Amino acid sequence: MARHNLRTVVEFEVRRTLTKRRFWILTLIVPVAIGIVFGLMYISNSSTSTSLNSQKSAKFSFSYTDASGQVDEALVSQIGGVKAADANQAIANVKAGKLNAYFAYPANPIKQIIQVYALNTGIFENGKYGSVATQILKLSAQQKIGSPELAALAQGQVKVVTTTFKDGKQTGGFNGLIPPLFFLLIFYVVIILLGNQMLGSTLEEKENRVTEMILTTVNATTLIVGKIISLFIIGLVQIVVFVLPIVVGFLFFRSSLNLPNFDLSTLVFDPLRMIVGALLLLGGFTLFTGTLVAIGAAMPTAKEAGIFFGVLMTLIFIPFYIVSLIVSDPNALIVKLFTYFPFSAPITAMLRNAFGSLTLWNASLVIAELFILGFMVLRMAVRIFQYGSIEYSKKLSIKSILGAAKL
Amino acid sequence: MAGEAEPLVHVEGFSMAFGKQTIIDDLSFDIHRGETFGFLGSNGCGKTTTIRALLGIYRPTGGVLHINGKPFKPEDGEKLGYLPEERGLYKKESVIDVMVYFGRLKGFSHQAAHDWSLAYLERLDLGDKAKMRLDKLSSGQQQKVQLGVTVMNSPELLILDEPTKGFDPVNRRLLMEIIEEQKQSGATVMMVTHQMEEVERLCDRVLFLKGGQAEAYGTIDEVQDQYGVQIIRLKYSGVIPASQNYVISRQQNNYAELTINEGADQSMILRDLVASGLQIREFSAGKLSLDDIFIGIYGDQEEEKNGGSA
Repeated sequence: MARHNLRTVVEFEVRRTLTKRRFWILTLIVPVAIGIVFGLMYISNSSTSTSLNSQKSAKFSFSYTDASGQVDEALVSQIGGVKAADANQAIANVKAGKLNAYFAYPANPIKQIIQVYALNTGIFENGKYGSVATQILKLSAQQKIGSPELAALAQGQVKVVTTTFKDGKQTGGFNGLIPPLFFLLIFYVVIILLGNQMLGSTLEEKENRVTEMILTTVNATTLIVGKIISLFIIGLVQIVVFVLPIVVGFLFFRSSLNLPNFDLSTLVFDPLRMIVGALLLLGGFTLFTGTLVAIGAAMPTAKEAGIFFGVLMTLIFIPFYIVSLIVSDPNALIVKLFTYFPFSAPITAMLRNAFGSLTLWNASLVIAELFILGFMVLRMAVRIFQYGSIEYSKKLSIKSILGAAKL
Repeated sequence: MAGEAEPLVHVEGFSMAFGKQTIIDDLSFDIHRGETFGFLGSNGCGKTTTIRALLGIYRPTGGVLHINGKPFKPEDGEKLGYLPEERGLYKKESVIDVMVYFGRLKGFSHQAAHDWSLAYLERLDLGDKAKMRLDKLSSGQQQKVQLGVTVMNSPELLILDEPTKGFDPVNRRLLMEIIEEQKQSGATVMMVTHQMEEVERLCDRVLFLKGGQAEAYGTIDEVQDQYGVQIIRLKYSGVIPASQNYVISRQQNNYAELTINEGADQSMILRDLVASGLQIREFSAGKLSLDDIFIGIYGDQEEEKNGGSA
């Protein structure tokens, strides 16, 4: 019966949310916004690419003076450039439209500016003059070095892969940091997306005076758990809707959108850190869900409950004020305090877990704390819902809440 | 397993306190199977608190509250129909969705709940409203839906807390019909109401709750006997004389009710009235009505005027 009712509650809550036009309007705002940004990026990148291509193929007449002596005359003449005898005359020719451009290379091009005088051909086209002037200097330098590889080395164009070890075992480094941080991301997305709905999930019964009829039809714990499960399902639907355009953009339009190419195979998944991260996520979710449900049950209206929601949101963002300490000095007193204070613990501990400064013992303590406190708060939330929700228009005092918890 | 003689509802030594305030103090009563029980009292005397404790919403401070021999739990599948005083449904959902939801929670299959709900709505001329949102219905129509949700599982125990509150005469009659139907099909009814004429018409036994305790408890006759004062109803012409044998408890348009004082009887009073020259057109003696008993019990309570129930 309890399982049948749990399924019924979940079905009812999920279906009625997913069939609401308002839900889809709000949910689709994000992917539509992402789509618009992607579209603009696509259009912008296309026009930039077209401009660059036309620049590359564009031929124009130019002259130059070289105080540095670094420019290779033969190279310049190959691409149609001529050495100017007089800088002022060259500038005058440009102004008169007899010459497209004139480049004045200074004595020390590293420290001094290369002056380019040219005919205006539009904001995108004008870029070609500077590119050609720079390219001439670059190719001239390569000619002097004698090999493109040496030139590349001189420019520091080398790739480095660092492999680090701890206790004789290879560590993940930066690539090992990213996977556990996914749990942090999920936690934020879930709480921010669903927090308000969790808060309002029991308020509806209260505001509509349904509490007594529903509580004598279905067990309070079944109802609350059913609501939480349905919120989680709704949250997943929202995440899929949000992520879908990003995935489509990455898979099919990556180059057009100029998206960076993530090589997921380089990520290092440390099983222990992943398990700890998952448990911290679940524990934190339990604690925050219980707290939000309890607040919703204790407050008479969504408006009054919203004040407390703001406080909880602040608590999950506060650890970021000390993120540099969390990374550089995890033993600092404030980091320890934030690690064990229940409402800042999930974020702080997940960060420390990702950066590898959360020992197994610390992690066990925080996970135990989150789950034990989470279940206690959830149990109290159920009782407050039973007791507080039928005080329809009243706000429960702290004394009443504690009384309800005992009842 | 509940035996035949075992009461459906058994309350014994029930106490309930919120902080230092005691609402119910050592209350005991039974509701037998198939009977209609009036659970009566002034506003704030603890009727709703007792029902909530009986239905497991509140945990009692002390005592035993059993339905079918055990504390009530929704998941046990007891066939309960409860229409609370503060009532409402999911207003932003369609009528049929809400009815099917409650039907499924009460153990129906989706199809059975859907079919039952449509038949009920058709019967009440709400068939065309099935897909409308509840908040688009009038308050009377919403009450009909709530009533449907309450009785849809043919409850063995039907608890109605001020069922006619806010009902217009048409809906009130409909409600009475449905209660009568439920009684006919064997339901036990526990009813909280301030309408004493409804109690006299429907209830087999009653309990008057005062100060958290049973002030009067039994069949209507037993309670009337408990308040053994007799009343004389009189239609007359002239002026009723003052007397030590009676008190004029009600007087209007040549109709009066006289409460017989202790030591007097109806023949003595009739003799006094005739001797005074009063022209008597009708003279009858009877027990106090439940309305009189109610006023007698709660008439002195300040909270009676204020309203709000505990």
